[in-house]
Amino acid sequence: MPSGALLFQSVLLGILLGGLYALLASGLTLYFGIMRVVMIAHSAFLILAAYLGWWLHERAGLDPLLAMLGTVPLFFGAGVLLQRVLLTRLRPATLTMMSVLLTFAIALLIEGLLGYAFTGTQRRVQLGYGSASLEVFGARVAVVKLIAFGLAVVALGTLYVLMKRTRFGWALRATIQHRDAARLLGIDTDRVAGYGFGIGLATAAIGGTALSLDTTIYPSLHWHWIGPLMAIIVVGGLGSVPGAAIAAMVLGMAQSLLQIPMGTTWAQTVFYVALFATLAIRPQGFFGGRLAQRF
Amino acid sequence: MTLETTGLSKAFGGVTALDGASVSFHQGEVNALIGPNGSGKTTYFNCVTGMIKPDGGTVSYQGRDLTGKAPHRIARAGIGRTFQLCRTFPRMTALENVLSAVPPTGLIGGLRSARGRAEIERAMGWLTRLGIEHLAGSEARDLSWGQQKLLELAGVLMAEPETVLLDEPAGGVNPALLDRIGVLIRELNAEGRTFVIVEHNMDLVMSISDHIVVFDRGRPIAEGPPSQIRTDERVLGAYLGV
Amino acid sequence: MPSGSKVLKLAAVALLAVAVLAFPSIAPNPYILSAGVLVVYYAVLATSWNFVGGFTGYISLGHGALAGLGAYSTGILVAKAGLPPFLALAAAGAFVGLLAVPIGLAALRVRGASFVIVSISLVLILLLVFQSWSSVTGGSRGLVVPRPFQLTRPEHHRIFYFLFAGLLALAVLAWWLIDRSRFGLGLKSIREDEDKAEALGTATYAYKLIVFVVSAVFTALAGGLYALWFGDLDPVFQFSILTGSYLVLMALLGGVRQLFGPVVGALIVGIALEFFKVEYGDTPLHLVATGLLLALVVLFMPDGVLPAIADLIKRFGRSDRTSIREVSAAELREQRLQNAGGTK
Repeated sequence: MPSGALLFQSVLLGILLGGLYALLASGLTLYFGIMRVVMIAHSAFLILAAYLGWWLHERAGLDPLLAMLGTVPLFFGAGVLLQRVLLTRLRPATLTMMSVLLTFAIALLIEGLLGYAFTGTQRRVQLGYGSASLEVFGARVAVVKLIAFGLAVVALGTLYVLMKRTRFGWALRATIQHRDAARLLGIDTDRVAGYGFGIGLATAAIGGTALSLDTTIYPSLHWHWIGPLMAIIVVGGLGSVPGAAIAAMVLGMAQSLLQIPMGTTWAQTVFYVALFATLAIRPQGFFGGRLAQRF
Repeated sequence: MTLETTGLSKAFGGVTALDGASVSFHQGEVNALIGPNGSGKTTYFNCVTGMIKPDGGTVSYQGRDLTGKAPHRIARAGIGRTFQLCRTFPRMTALENVLSAVPPTGLIGGLRSARGRAEIERAMGWLTRLGIEHLAGSEARDLSWGQQKLLELAGVLMAEPETVLLDEPAGGVNPALLDRIGVLIRELNAEGRTFVIVEHNMDLVMSISDHIVVFDRGRPIAEGPPSQIRTDERVLGAYLGV
Repeated sequence: MPSGSKVLKLAAVALLAVAVLAFPSIAPNPYILSAGVLVVYYAVLATSWNFVGGFTGYISLGHGALAGLGAYSTGILVAKAGLPPFLALAAAGAFVGLLAVPIGLAALRVRGASFVIVSISLVLILLLVFQSWSSVTGGSRGLVVPRPFQLTRPEHHRIFYFLFAGLLALAVLAWWLIDRSRFGLGLKSIREDEDKAEALGTATYAYKLIVFVVSAVFTALAGGLYALWFGDLDPVFQFSILTGSYLVLMALLGGVRQLFGPVVGALIVGIALEFFKVEYGDTPLHLVATGLLLALVVLFMPDGVLPAIADLIKRFGRSDRTSIREVSAAELREQRLQNAGGTK
């Protein structure tokens, strides 16, 4: 039986990890809601952002948090372009399947280019505060993990306000729920969809920055993220942002706790077990997910 | 012993689409289901044919409970349907479209050639009857809207359903074709098929129906023969939004 | 009167068969021969993939994992349980087929998006398991599978070349049988419009499941044969997401609606892969090339090269066919004549 302190530390780390998962899963959920696109390249962009943070730190001594000022707008623009230039070219009838392949291809491209530019060597940002940690009721938590969590919370909070309180958010939600009806209401759904993709990719930029603070990165790391993230959006119910957030927290916590008895590798399987269990028992997901029944 | 629902209800999010719809259609007649936009007609069709699982209520057909059954089981029970925005298999030929309405049974049946002679004859028969036999080898996506509607109907009829649900058969169809569809429905009905038709074109509804059910806000508010429905105040009220 | 296109098709198939069978005698050295084995292996995998991808339109990125599972099952049964190699191969095919049932039950219950997610997850989870469970799988050190025949290297390649070619013939035959069957028509109607297919009485869930299992068995047999041929299994290569993407690329490039589409695709991509390996070694650039090619095919040639070529021929060679209606009428007549003149 693990000690109370260890357990508490795991719970804390689970929450911190869950926050990052929630942010990234919200991006995936947005894409799916808007266009029924399973965006495989999401986590490749995540790693790309982490690499950009690392590279700017290495070259210019920039703090990754500052690099975010550049990567977030850049990724937003890339997201808009991805939707407007590439995804809209695909035939609507086969959009879901073909977009998977297209975004998969983009993931391979990014992974290959990262490997070509920076080699497969593992990289890590060396920060002044990298090894600092705080003690919370006997549990030690690295400061960088707290910063990463803070980033995720702020970004998710901003996303929430954007979706619920702004005209754009209203248009985006209308587009997600009923595209034709939204168009009848005078919403330029194509533009809204493009911006939605931009926001989704911006979450990857923020997540990547958070990741670069305390993780060793390498080009093929994105496969370790896309699996858990896809499991999260299915468990949460495809297309449901709150569902994805709850699933992210629950599974992040489960992963963190299971690491105690099972070790890090086997603990990862919890995502896949949850994925299969969800599809077998309740394919529309456990937390909402009106769309999921049909996809 | 007919198509019947009791207390059928369905909500999407917070919006009630069906609110305890209890309806009994007349066997062997042309039934029409009318009502203002958003009154739940298409949702009703979707629940009856198993495309959507109802939140509550039952669907029964010829004494069999069909509630929540998979769509293909309901189709095999003898209920065929068309879709509101006509749906065909775009990259199959018209002939293949019709042929695919005969699902095989068992392993041996499944591995038989899809182009058995008897089936091709029967499929061509339906295409001929609907006047589109000359298009048999064309892919459905190359057909005009009206031709696609006829093709969809041919596919449904190929499965030999006793009851046919048509979702807006007149939608987007030119007047000449409209008349043909009307005549066709009456003919097919005379051969013993029961029809349930969701339709906005009142001329068509009044001219071909034996029995009309009026929906408003997810439940029936009136039913009867056309002559009676035409003068019903509740129906007028529903349509005018009173 | 047998139609011209039919004769042409039969001739093409015969030519292909001759070319495939003659290759080992023409191959100048064992390396080229082994590359040929690899290409035929890919052709079997791509054709197996196409049972699901081509008929139902469901894209699986996880078929590499099914092949890996077949390879490891065969390898473990031979190396650890001491089964005769080809009995182990058959058992592995049956085992993966059985395993495909619960996987399919979970993945195919709803529409395509979940299927894709499950297929990718399959690769990721199996990689995890096979790397970690080293007592059975050999872990990252790999699993050595004893060779079934005591032969020289070129002889070994030659035998396996024909074994793979036989399996390819079997897979192509099965695909052809399903393609022309009523079951196949039902599967294709799922690809076109799944709701509509169900409304017409097709048991879509069962259809998808059956064809997925068939596909899994062929894939596993190819993987198992690979294990016996190659003799050394490493989880990183067996459960690589790349293998799955090669298969998709091959099938798509060749044309998923064509019987020989995946074979043609395997020929193109397989040779390109070997060429790339020789020219540039093992660099991340092969990822870039694969990604770029896949994106281009998806964007500009989603029907593959075979239909594109057929279109070209049609455009230049047959100006007499002017309208769709004439074509259909002509085809129909042909169809009826064939049916009238056919057996029974």
